[in-house]
Amino acid sequence: MSVFIIKRLLSLIPTLLLASMLIFLFVHLIPGDPAAVLLGDLATPEEVAALTTEMGLDEPVYLQYYYWLSHVLQGDLGTSIFFQVPVSTVIGDGAETSILLALMTMIWIITIGLPLGILAASRHGTFVDQLCSGGAMMAASVPTFWLGLYLILIFSVGLGWLPSSGFPSLTDDGGVFNLRYLILPSLALAAPNAALIIRLVRSSMLDVAREDFVRTARAKGLHPTRIAVKHVFRNALIAVVAAFGFTFAALISEAVVTETVFSLPGIGRLVVQSILRRDYPVIQGVILVIVVLYMTINLLVDLAYARLDPRVSLK
Amino acid sequence: MKIKAYLKTAVIVTSMSVAGSVLAEGTLRYATVGEPPSLDQQVVTSDLATTIAHHMFEGLYTFNANNAPVGLLAADESVSADGKTIVISLRDNVTFHNGKQMTSLDVVASLNRWLEHGSRGKLLSDNITSVEATGDYEVTLSFNAVFGPWQNLMAFINGGPAIYPSEIAAAAGKAPIAPSDYIGTGPYKFNEWKANRYVELVRHDAYNSPVGVADGYGGARDANFETLRFIPVPDVGTRISGLKAGDYDYAENIPGDLFAELDADENVRTILNGGPIFGLVFMNSKEGPLKENFALRRAIQTALNKDTALRIAAGPEKLWRANGSFLPEGNVWYSKSGIEKFSEGNAAKAKEMAAAAGYAGEPIKFMVSTNYAFHYDKAVVYTKQLAQAGFNIDLQVYDWATLIKKRSQPDQWDLFFTHHGFVPDPILISAMSDNYPGWWSTPEKAALKAEFTGTADKAKRAVTWNKLQALIYEQVPTMKTGDIYTYNIASAKLKGLAPSTLIWPHFWGVSK
Repeated sequence: MSVFIIKRLLSLIPTLLLASMLIFLFVHLIPGDPAAVLLGDLATPEEVAALTTEMGLDEPVYLQYYYWLSHVLQGDLGTSIFFQVPVSTVIGDGAETSILLALMTMIWIITIGLPLGILAASRHGTFVDQLCSGGAMMAASVPTFWLGLYLILIFSVGLGWLPSSGFPSLTDDGGVFNLRYLILPSLALAAPNAALIIRLVRSSMLDVAREDFVRTARAKGLHPTRIAVKHVFRNALIAVVAAFGFTFAALISEAVVTETVFSLPGIGRLVVQSILRRDYPVIQGVILVIVVLYMTINLLVDLAYARLDPRVSLK
Repeated sequence: MKIKAYLKTAVIVTSMSVAGSVLAEGTLRYATVGEPPSLDQQVVTSDLATTIAHHMFEGLYTFNANNAPVGLLAADESVSADGKTIVISLRDNVTFHNGKQMTSLDVVASLNRWLEHGSRGKLLSDNITSVEATGDYEVTLSFNAVFGPWQNLMAFINGGPAIYPSEIAAAAGKAPIAPSDYIGTGPYKFNEWKANRYVELVRHDAYNSPVGVADGYGGARDANFETLRFIPVPDVGTRISGLKAGDYDYAENIPGDLFAELDADENVRTILNGGPIFGLVFMNSKEGPLKENFALRRAIQTALNKDTALRIAAGPEKLWRANGSFLPEGNVWYSKSGIEKFSEGNAAKAKEMAAAAGYAGEPIKFMVSTNYAFHYDKAVVYTKQLAQAGFNIDLQVYDWATLIKKRSQPDQWDLFFTHHGFVPDPILISAMSDNYPGWWSTPEKAALKAEFTGTADKAKRAVTWNKLQALIYEQVPTMKTGDIYTYNIASAKLKGLAPSTLIWPHFWGVSK
């Protein structure tokens, strides 16, 4: 397995290099420049050009890429044009929110999605199954922003139980109790994802239940619960684990709508705002980190496959 | 045992909520639409930047409630008989946030940086010959000719001459200064800017307020809040819900269609912005079919009915005026010159005028951004109205950053939509600058502009402004699209807020 991990890690190098080139190129292909955004409506083209030069953005793109890459290889993602702080600090700040939000959402998905998926599969064709499947369809159909706004109206404006928006860091006043800021957004974000997991667990379990080895287990007279948990669920989990992995990555990088509705300082909103401001170093840094995140999760999912399914060998 | 643990948790949570509310008493939480590009007032003209930064940075002058300039860091001034030399006495009790006392050296360094690199500094720099420290607390400005609007320019803090410590101003170039150098003289000082979370200012305890009753931005500035926290909340629904839930005390930029509902809510105060913003459609004077073809421009102007677009873009009539004057009614610069051409909406007449101007259906590129909803809404209405008058409009929709890049390239556009904040002197209107995209620079404009700035006599300046506004309707370098009174909302618990803002909201003299 260690040979496999080393090989996979080595294969990351050319992939990351190619990804970094594409990221850099696409970011610089977007029309508009940060100097014009920074100086505002009244700046003349001459002033914008002067600031562009001052920031080194008038150099050929390949040279800018070379400078950027040589810094990245030394662990320096550059400095944000707008915040004038290291990109790693900006990303770190956003990552705290995004990772905690994704973890809390995953807790909802696992605690709601898995049991309901198993319940729907084990009561296949009954009213309980229809209720679970129907509920899942409804949760998957409701737009996250709509659900988010209603959660705010009910639990913040109406009942006053939870804060409506924002997320102070765990290192700020309030400490771990600041996690209450993430309850509503994680619920809004969990709804469609939990629905998908319910459907996935249900269909995977039903597929596995039709396999010969399950029939054999039943013929041997094993207890139905033991068959469901040890034989059916464990094998159904292989497909679910992959979904968990990529859901987690997507929750970190693509929760922009939820982050906007709940005004959370996460990675998704950071990318969108940075694109609008043309804050090149931040866009490049964040996308690079997201690429690494997806690659890492891909690797972990592969390792999990091998753990769950003895037929899979890592070479 | 379990019950004990639950009780302990409940006590902790309750005490934290109480602690939170006590803390909230000393903190104003302002929900903004986004984050400013920078807080450097000399080079940045973003209204959001000024809303935050004018609590930190001060200029020599500011505006009272009548939009007249009054002293802020300046104590007094004397003007020579020929009007070309102005000696400004400074207040001698002003300290910067770093503890240093402000002297004329700081003022000279700041003015020099602003004249060279400031967004609005170039309006003054062509007319000024020197800025000198003629005493510890005295600065002398020398002009090459009488320059009427000097004090209004000095008083306008947005892109204006904020006073920084000399070592910071002298080292700064065109690039905005870094947050670590946000050191001013205002009632609040910079504390922290956490990307995507907040910009936080804290009370400047050594602040010596100007004397006198608070009047607009002039007079006493009492910092009642310990902290001002400006929090980016991009979704308007969240800004409103957050204010109603008590998470914010003030929220900006609320859509017009919610005005009636919020105005009727006793827990919410609606605060109109006293200075209206106005949309402008600029025409390209350098290239394309509209270059120097004033007759064709007038035909376009004739085709447009501004009322329809205003109603769609701004909502209730309380929030807009189909006003053709560049400055609003009641203002000293209000003028009726040329405004009969403001909103004719006559497609047939426009068609005839266009034909007479030699227009044969060439495409006219009209750039607009979706970043500002009212830009896009109005542009769509205008495109339809122009099509009815026979114009071939190619509406090009971009994000704001792309639009401002493209508008600097004369071959990329013929019309573009932007908007302008309220300004207390017409010299600050962007079309008055020859370098502003559109590049309106005709001999008639140059002559009237020289006449306008060449006197300090307000009555004479008003007469010349009438002529300039008439010229704008004649040569149509830009079309005003009407006044929009944006509004903000505040918690009913806030005390000391005026029913409307002057230009940008301010929170000295406010408490809860």
